[in-house]
Amino acid sequence: MLAAGKDVILEVDSIVTRFGAQTIHNGVSFSVPRGQLVALIGGSGTGKSVLLREIIGLMRPTAGTVRLLGTDVWKASAAELSKVRSRFGMMFQDGALFSSLDVAHNVAVPLLEHTDLAPELIWPLVQLRIAQAGLSPDTGAKMPSELSGGMRKRAAIARALALEPEVIFLDEPTSGLDPITARAFDKLVRFLVDDLGVTVFLVTHDLDTLLTVVDRLIVLAKGKVLADGSVREVMETSDAWVQSYFSVRTMLGGGNDAHAS
Amino acid sequence: MTPRSRDTPPQGQLASIETSDGGATLRLAGDWRLPRVQAVTAALTALPKPARVVAVDGGSLTGLDTAGALVALRYLQRIGADPKSAAPRNFTPHHQRIIELVAGQLAELPAIGKAHSRGFFTTAGRDVVAFADLLVSYVQFLGYTAAGIGTLVLHPWRLRLKELAAQFQQVGITAIPVVVLVTFLIGVVIAYLLGLQAEKYGASIFVVDGVAIGMAREFSPILVAVIIAGRSGAAFTAQLGTMKLTEETDAIRVLGLSPMDVLILPRVFAIVVALPLLVFLGDVMGILGGMLMAKTTLGIIPATYIERLHAALHLKHVVAGLVKAPVFAFFIAIIGIRMGMTVSRDTRAIGVNTTSTVVQSIVSVILLDALFAVVFEKLGI
Repeated sequence: MLAAGKDVILEVDSIVTRFGAQTIHNGVSFSVPRGQLVALIGGSGTGKSVLLREIIGLMRPTAGTVRLLGTDVWKASAAELSKVRSRFGMMFQDGALFSSLDVAHNVAVPLLEHTDLAPELIWPLVQLRIAQAGLSPDTGAKMPSELSGGMRKRAAIARALALEPEVIFLDEPTSGLDPITARAFDKLVRFLVDDLGVTVFLVTHDLDTLLTVVDRLIVLAKGKVLADGSVREVMETSDAWVQSYFSVRTMLGGGNDAHAS
Repeated sequence: MTPRSRDTPPQGQLASIETSDGGATLRLAGDWRLPRVQAVTAALTALPKPARVVAVDGGSLTGLDTAGALVALRYLQRIGADPKSAAPRNFTPHHQRIIELVAGQLAELPAIGKAHSRGFFTTAGRDVVAFADLLVSYVQFLGYTAAGIGTLVLHPWRLRLKELAAQFQQVGITAIPVVVLVTFLIGVVIAYLLGLQAEKYGASIFVVDGVAIGMAREFSPILVAVIIAGRSGAAFTAQLGTMKLTEETDAIRVLGLSPMDVLILPRVFAIVVALPLLVFLGDVMGILGGMLMAKTTLGIIPATYIERLHAALHLKHVVAGLVKAPVFAFFIAIIGIRMGMTVSRDTRAIGVNTTSTVVQSIVSVILLDALFAVVFEKLGI
């Protein structure tokens, strides 16, 4: 199972999404191999979050197929889907922690629901996840309402990691965080990929995240995949939107692509 | 001197102990990942207790994750070996990193981290303190509102008529159908119930007294107050709680407006004015309901019913009922608004506070009613 990094984790094939007369996606296709850290970017309203929801089985696309961990998400039976669900983790934008449970119980939910582990194994495992997410051990007893934005996100990632998934989806992992916390979060994500061998698929707008930790970038625009490749390759695309997206960085002197369009 | 023993692991065994002169080696094999943790734990439990584990061999592992590593390291801890002194051998670099990662955090993990449940006395103590806090905060809020009303008396032009009208519409006008329905039916039920008894004594006509006085003094005020507590008290909490959560109340403050003028007082006045009107409507509907029932089951025609009504229903009964209404209303408003304004930073609190508002309002309406009963009795009303 762990052998080669070649196998495909996620395959999105000609996804079409329409809301009424409005077409959001018009044939979006890409695939993600195991062990990559992939970022999806695109302007507001290009349907990044919608695409993410379609991938994890929360929202049915108008047409097209999503194969996640070898299962066709929109054709699978409930039982198959439930199996797949225990193999991926999802971190929602604001954490989506269950507000009636403390952090430790939030992290324990997937373990209690999807495994039949003994309690004396679950709680140390929960503490391990909390530590892996970079939270101090006493955070476990806190309620989500007592946490800062950054801690909420870490708690959410601890819950997403609970079952040691093969792939994790992150929706805007660094939005609303200060730059220092955001960079620490980037490191955490990179560590998941390098040390735990998790595949990470994230939606972000954070240029620093894109330029420092991401292996591959997929740009969504006008309902299609506009560019797909390493950050450097994408930056060299001549598309106006991509150019202006990265121009902020160039103006600040951080980027080094001085190609005139 | 020690005899050299060697237990070769049978095929498919997940864990085995290999003893040699230098000490024992724990050999891990197969799939050591979360879905298999149960089997792995069982395999470790079945092992003979070795003397001294000096090394861990992971050469035959096909899979390892942090859960598996945790189980292995905790096993070493349990048999009294220091996980850090046991040299890892033959692990793939990836597995080696996972082992190191978990070993690094092992010290901070609880030995048996059972969920922290609170004892009975802790819970009881917390509840008592919370209840005392609640009472204190009501006194504070009452003072705050009284100050707001005082300011308004001095500066009447600050009353926001538009908000007041909107709230009155919400609390009063839209509540009319449900109030009409409920009080009419209760009038019917009381007339029926009394009629069954009164008929036996040939005193059917006194059903009118019972329905009229009962509705005016008790049933209509209580019922309407309970309806409004469930409808508007809960709505106040939910609306203000949501506004608090989305920082709208803060925005009101920052824009130089006063939440007291914009949010609190319009609601208080609206409900205090609306409730007596609804209670009066309830009185009328209850008496009409009684009239319907008196006609159909007791044969008392409406003309007779109204004639008896004039004799039986003194003004003081109606006033006694109407006097209670604004007091009930004020308490419902204070409870609903305070519970909304004190919603904490998570969405669950809105639900909790809304439920609490309904319970507190209904209980306080009943308590106040009992208090009124005692006072009216002493005053001979």
